[in-house]
Amino acid sequence: MARSARLTAQAIAVAVVVGLLALLVWRVAHDGNKGISQALASGGHPSAPTFDLARLDGHGRFDLASLLGKRPIVLDFWASWCVPCIHESKRLEAARRVYGDRVSFLGVDTKDFSGDARRWQRTHGITYPSVHDGNGAVLAKWGGTPIPRIFFVDRRGKVVAELEAEEDLPRYLRLIAAS
Amino acid sequence: MLVAALVAVPVAGASEKHPTLSELEGDVMCPVCGTTLDQSNSPAAEQIKRLIARRIAAGDTRTEIENTLVAEYGDAILAAPRKKGFGLLAWWLPIAGIVTAAVVVGAGAWRWSRAHEPELPDPGLDRALERRLDDELARFD
Repeated sequence: MARSARLTAQAIAVAVVVGLLALLVWRVAHDGNKGISQALASGGHPSAPTFDLARLDGHGRFDLASLLGKRPIVLDFWASWCVPCIHESKRLEAARRVYGDRVSFLGVDTKDFSGDARRWQRTHGITYPSVHDGNGAVLAKWGGTPIPRIFFVDRRGKVVAELEAEEDLPRYLRLIAAS
Repeated sequence: MLVAALVAVPVAGASEKHPTLSELEGDVMCPVCGTTLDQSNSPAAEQIKRLIARRIAAGDTRTEIENTLVAEYGDAILAAPRKKGFGLLAWWLPIAGIVTAAVVVGAGAWRWSRAHEPELPDPGLDRALERRLDDELARFD
């Protein structure tokens, strides 16, 4: 009896140690994962991960899956505390006037206070819709900070590029608009 | 200790009803830096500090401010898990672990010490000595 109790206790102890070790390995492996951004950098064109988030304007929710496979999308991760985001979002707003009939523009306000974010949109004249990713979970799947991060998704729902240089914007817009 | 506890209760109450920015800065995380607000001057941290200052000026309690932050940024915005619901696990699990470990170590040490207690050899009496003792006793009868 005492022997079987000791064996059970030892088995439990070993299981706990193995579980903690597995957790550590998983954590270390996922720490370096930069999501979509990393996949693009390795030459891949991954499928866009979907998300379902509350709209920043308070009018319900928005499910990215409703657009995927139907229209090309420009996805802009921004926040009201992010100074460079002002410049990039204004460029996207201008691009929307040209490509808005063929390409959908969607902002993802991330790790931000929604009241400040709405004020920021009004201040800078940003009119394309945004969703609120308060805890940054969606941003993490796409590559994490720093922001802004701007992704281009073609009509088939594949992420084809991330904006790295200013001059790439018209090129990638033409690319997805023609997809 | 009792005096300390009596002093701490009103202080905790004041902190709940009238929190200060410096108190909350140590309890709220900067969402992009991985540190508490008091350790960061990043734009994201500064934005949250301004938000907290506005809510304090508006008369919000500590809990109301924390609720506002959690609603916007999720639970991870708080440096320590809340002492209710699932968050309680984070507070009690380490204590339960320490108590369990102490019990296991104590029980193990007790068993080990008993198992290794030196057993005194039974000296007994050799046959010659036993016979002599019997003779001596017989003489007194």
